[in-house]
This record gives sequence, C-alpha cells and structure tokens, in this order.
Amino acid sequence: MFSKKKKNVTTNEFNQIVEGTSLTKEAWKRLKKNKMAILGLIVVIIYALIAICADMFPLYPYDEVVTEHQHLKPSFSKTSGELMLEKKMQDLYYNAWKQGRLVVGEENDAMIKNWIANDKTNKVWSYLLEAGEAQRAAGAFEWSKSDLSAIEKVEDKIQNDVMVTINGLYKNVNGKNTNLKKLNYNEIADIYASMLGLDRAVLDTSVEKELKMALVNEIKSKDSEISTEDATAQAEIDFANFSEKDFETKAKANVYGKIETQVKRDALKTVKANLKENPSQTFPYEEHQELSYGISADILATKTHDRRYYLGTDYLGRDMLSRIVYGSRVSIGIGLVGTITSILIGILVGSLAGYIGGRVDYYLMRFVDVMYGLPYMLLVIIMMAIFDRSIINLFIALALISWLTIARMVRGQIMSLKNQEYVEAARSMGASTARIITRHMIPNSLSIIIVYSTIRIPNFIMQESFLSFLGLGVQAPYASWGSLIGDAVSSMTLYPWKLIYPSLTMVIFLFAMNFLGDGLRDAFDPQSKNQL
Amino acid sequence: MSKYIIKRLIGMIPTLLVIVTLSFFIVRIAPGGPFDGERALPEVIKRNIEAKYHMDEPLIQQYGRYLFDVLRGDLGPSYKYKDHDVNSLIFNSLPNSIILGCMAMAVALVFGISLGITAALKQNTVLDYVPMALAALGLSIPLFVVGPLLQYIFAMQLKILPTSGWFMDGETTFATAVLPVVSLSFAYYADVARLTRSSMLETLRSDYIRTAKAKGMKQSTIIFKHAMKGAMLPIVSYLGPAFAGIITGSIVVEQVFRVPGLGKFFVQSSFNRDYTLIVGVVIVYSTILVIMNFLVDIVYSLLDPRITYK
Repeated sequence: MFSKKKKNVTTNEFNQIVEGTSLTKEAWKRLKKNKMAILGLIVVIIYALIAICADMFPLYPYDEVVTEHQHLKPSFSKTSGELMLEKKMQDLYYNAWKQGRLVVGEENDAMIKNWIANDKTNKVWSYLLEAGEAQRAAGAFEWSKSDLSAIEKVEDKIQNDVMVTINGLYKNVNGKNTNLKKLNYNEIADIYASMLGLDRAVLDTSVEKELKMALVNEIKSKDSEISTEDATAQAEIDFANFSEKDFETKAKANVYGKIETQVKRDALKTVKANLKENPSQTFPYEEHQELSYGISADILATKTHDRRYYLGTDYLGRDMLSRIVYGSRVSIGIGLVGTITSILIGILVGSLAGYIGGRVDYYLMRFVDVMYGLPYMLLVIIMMAIFDRSIINLFIALALISWLTIARMVRGQIMSLKNQEYVEAARSMGASTARIITRHMIPNSLSIIIVYSTIRIPNFIMQESFLSFLGLGVQAPYASWGSLIGDAVSSMTLYPWKLIYPSLTMVIFLFAMNFLGDGLRDAFDPQSKNQL
Repeated sequence: MSKYIIKRLIGMIPTLLVIVTLSFFIVRIAPGGPFDGERALPEVIKRNIEAKYHMDEPLIQQYGRYLFDVLRGDLGPSYKYKDHDVNSLIFNSLPNSIILGCMAMAVALVFGISLGITAALKQNTVLDYVPMALAALGLSIPLFVVGPLLQYIFAMQLKILPTSGWFMDGETTFATAVLPVVSLSFAYYADVARLTRSSMLETLRSDYIRTAKAKGMKQSTIIFKHAMKGAMLPIVSYLGPAFAGIITGSIVVEQVFRVPGLGKFFVQSSFNRDYTLIVGVVIVYSTILVIMNFLVDIVYSLLDPRITYK
C-alpha cells in the first residue's frame, strides 16, 4: 500500500516503472495538442483579464455623456475636436454645394445625387469635404461670412471647453488635510452650510426632504400602480424606520454630492479663468486647489475636445471603446455566473434524483420533462417585459431555465456510478448519503459537467444578448454586447462602427469559447470526437 | 402504435395546461395594467372598463373563465387594439411567421444534410473544410448579428436585395424573403451539417455498411438506401429543439427585417402589457412546439425499428 504522499509508482509485469496519471492530466495533454483549442483558451483569458481589469485602463467612463461628441467616427489620429470641426465643415460644404456655391461639375453632381438617393450619405460628406478642401486650397472656393463665423465658433469651443474631475475633497484641520469622505454627516453638513451661508436647521430639513423624495421615487419605481399619497405615506414610515447608520450614510452621500457639484462649478470657473489668462496652458493637468471655505480639492482639468475615440462614439457621445469593454464585463459576467448557478442547481437536483431514485426521481424528472416542453425563451421574455428590468432579474430568469440539461446529465452519470464497487464499499463502511454524493459521485462526474458547462457559456451569453437586443435585458446606462448591437441596428448605414465593433468583439469571443469547448470535450472524452 | 400516439396526445395536455396557467398568472401578478396610460383615467371609467373585461372578478374566476374560453378556441379581446380580438390578430400574422419558419427550416435541412453528407464522404478535402468552417461560423455568430450584417452588406451596400418588408404583403417581391430566411436558417444549418457529418461518418463505419460494400453494391445505393436511414436519426431528434429555436429566433428576424409576423406582436404586446394577446401568442407558440415535438417523436419511432412503442 502506498501512503497518500508517496508518488503513485507501480511496476508492470516486465518490472518497468509505470507512472500513474490522472484523467485531468491526460486530458490536458490532449488539449495541448489541439492548437485551435489553445488559441481559444488564450483569447478567452485575454477577454477575461480585460473584463476584470477594466477599471485599471485609462478609459473614459462608459456612461459619461458628452452631447457635442455625438456619433463621432472612430479615429486613431484625430482628436474629438478635429472630428467635430470636420463634421461642421462637411455640413457647410454640403450646404454650399446645395446652394451652388461649391461647384463640382455636372458628372459629379449626378454621382452625389445618386448617393443621396441610395442612402449613402457618408460618401457624400467625405467626397464634398475632399473636393471643397482641394478647391479652397486652390483658391476656387471661399467660405461665406456666416460659414466663417460658424467655423470660428467651433474652433473657439475646441480651444476653450474644459472639464473638471474632482479626485478628492479635503478639509484642513490643524494644518492637516483630512478627506471629507472620512468625516461624519454632522461635520460635512456644517461645511456645506457655511459654504452657502445657510442655517444648519434649514439644511437638515432640506436633506430630510430630499431623502424622503428619493424613497418615494424608489417605491414608485417598484410598484407602478401605487398612488402618490400611498407612496409618500410608505416613504414616511420607511424614513422613520431608518437606523442611525442608514441615515448617516444616505445623508452624508447626499451632502457630499452637493459639495462636489459646488466645488466642481467653482473649480471650472478658476480653470477657465486661468486658460483665458494663459492660453498656452497645456492640458490635462492635475492641481491641488485651495478653496475659500476652508476646504481644498484635488482636481483634474482636461480639455473636453482633446479626447480620442478609437472606436467612435454613440448617439449620446459616449465612448464606444469603453462601452464595449464594460459591456464585455457584463456579458461575460452574466454568462459565467449564470452557468455556475445553473450547474449548482443542476447538480443538486440531478444527484438527488439519481442517487435516491424511486419516487423522488420520478417526480423530479417529470418536473424536468414538463419544463422541457415549455417554450422557455418566451416565458423569459414575458418575465423581462413585465417585471423590473434589472441585471439581477435577467440573471434569475436565465438561471431558472438553464439547469435542466445539467440535472439530466448528472442524474445519468450518478445512476451509472451508483452501482460501482467503490460506492458499495463506501456504503458498507457506513458512509452517509451526503458523504457518498459529495465525496465520490460529484467529483467523478465533475469532468463532464465542466466540459458541458464550457459549451453552455456561449449559449448563455447569446441568450442574455438576445434579450438585451430586444431591449428586454440590460438597461442603460449599462451596456452589454446585445444592447450595443440592438442600439446600432436602426442607424447602421450612417454609423456602421456602432454595429461592427460590438459584433466583432462578441463573435471573436464566441468563436474562441466554442473552440475551447470542443477541444475540452475531445480531450476529456476522445471517443466523442466525431459527435456534435 | 396507435396506442402510443393516443398516449402521447394525452401527454400533451398537462404541458399545455402548465403553459397557459404559468403565463396567465405571471402576467396578472406583474405590476402595471393594460390601462395605465400616461393619462390617469377617472375612477368610474376605469371601473367600467375593468368590468367590461371581467377584471373586477377574483383572479381564480378570471382564470376559470379564460380556460373555458381557450377550450372553445376563443382567446379573448385584445386590450390595446380595441377593435380586434386576439384570434383575428393572430390569424393575420401567424401565416407569415409559419411560412418564414418553415422556409428557414427547409433551407437549413436541405443545405445542412446535403453538405454534411458530402463532407463525410469527402473527408479532409475542400468539400469537407468549407462547409464545416461555415458551420463553425454559424455556431458562433448569433442571429441578431447575422441579420443586421447581412442586411448591411446585401441590402444597404450591394443593393441586390430589399432591406425589409415581406412578400406576402402584396406589393413586394419574393426577394424580401431571402435575407430573413437565410439569417434565420444559418445557425440551424450549422448544427444540422455538423450532426449529419458526424453521424454519417459513424454509420459508414458500421458493420452493415461494410457487408453491403462486400456484396458489391453501388456506392450511391449504399449511401442513400442504407446509410441515410441510420444517419438521419440524430437529426430527427434534433428537430424538436430546432423548432423551439426557430420560433424564438423568428422574433429577432421579424424585428430586424420588419416582417409582419407573430414575433413582432409578441414583443410589442409584452411592452404594452396586453395580457390577452401575450397569453394568446404564448399558447399558439407552445401548441405549435408541442405538436412539432410530437411529430418528431412519431417520425423517430417510424425510422428506428429498435424503438418499441408502449
């Protein structure tokens, strides 16, 4: 007998040393030979890393709306300001062409009209821009006065629009800066009251009012049938039931937000004034500003139109790159957590049915059969259409339907394992049912479960994206692959980048996942190689 | 055999009952009603409307009334489309959806099976690699990406096919059906082709095929008379889930290509909380699905003599 720590070395009948390998090791060996599967694994790992570390990349916030940057096209070389100017010029050249000031020849006129008739506006714009710029350089075309003032306006905007982000607020106490977040509500409220020259009591009542309003809104959003009076009454009760700590955190967040807004406004003024005095100021810069009311702030000043959008922007001027990265996080996250949940439910039901057998098995499996006959996605669509469309609900709806196959699979596996000698041995030595299931049966069927779930993840992601595509899944400002694609479909002729990049991101991931799943299945079960 | 069929027919009833019950109650329990417009109605009018649609009765009574109506084939009035009842709404849109679904299924089966068989016969040649690469693509690209992309390429850039519409509406040509059908069938083509190829490979290796070869039969006879029958079994059993998938898939396709089918109604009525329409559509879809599953099982048992029916 070998003790557990010793290596598993045995000799065969020719006295050669035979090293025992586990199933997993063998499978890994086979998987390594499958180049596509390894490539898929690498891609999946890269996606996972990007999704996990999304916060560490210098991305613009995925929900930050910059209306002036609406629908800017992807560009590596140009800043958003340059793109805005280009858009304006395209507009002006188009008007000039329509008014007959920009002459491109009869043949080209026909071509442009043909483009317009065929919805190819993008081509018209880029062609007119090119032609107009060439003519202007040659001196054949000149801007009108109103054109010039329009261009100047945009240029002025690009030069002067600045944004301020607050990275931290501090109060100077005895020559030491303490972060405002570390103070309690009382101290913060004092600061804000002194900032505005308000009475503390007035501030307290207004904060209380706002908190109650927030509660009313919350109640109303949960139950759309409730009347305003009922909601207000309910909010009163909820508010009275607030614990000291609840009140403290909520009130503090409220006042902190107010201070931040105020400071941001003031800081923006200072930054703008600085820029006027010193137009050659380089951006972005960070600064520690001392403010008049005994507090100071770490600010980051950036030029609004100095941004670069490598994958373009959407209809609210949000950065597509950032939205895709954060959307990947949502999609992959739901896929992963959903699959894990469905595996857990499936293992529980399947192992109970398989091991206990008899009546339990019969009823559980009839239940599974009936569930199988249901048109799941339709029920999920109803649920998502009717109840609150939160990520949690989406996740629950999907997890509820996806454990069925795993339950059947585990049941089959366990039924075949049940009569193996080692299980009988364990039972005869007095092991309990729970112990046999958790120590012997589940570990032994784990490999097929893992393989199957790898195959399931893309399916799960597709279902989530399917719902989000219909507008029933992830809701704005959050994004997922499906919702990004769904948003893009209606305007894809004008803004194709909104459709192409999210689709590409999703398809590459699903490809990688499918190859990995196939590879894993072949590795764990080489005989299945030619089956679907 | 007839006993088996009757047994299966009776077995369909509980599934349908569960579906009707579940969707009826999910919809009623949910917050918000069909008459919650932007404008609040006066209390009296609201009560009158509710009385008209029997919504003032206890839930159980409503349920009983509804079940009875459904049994008679009456799905009730639509809450949102005031002049129509659910039956006529469904009756007008269902043919479009059925034809779309059937065409997609037929395309998937014809291309999937023929290309799958060729791939199996010409293993490791171009005729194997290209259809299988296409199938791998079909597995990884979701329907709502295929649809818009095909629309973008063929309808908007190349301008060889219409962007949207549906040929059964009268004015447009049959060409409107091409893109919806192709995008809906793509994923199922992928599955069918892969299944056919693998099951064909396995069948060709079995003993009875070797016997047939040894007896000097023609290659084509072996394939079409002997191997096909055995190789088709997994595909027949795949048809059940495929029908379910095509039904949900048609919802997306009808949205993208503006096909006036049932799927579009379904999403709209879910947003509108048009209770009777939602439940009606779900009942119709589920009935189709259950019947399809039943037919698939019958075909399967006809094809495979090893199965005994009890």
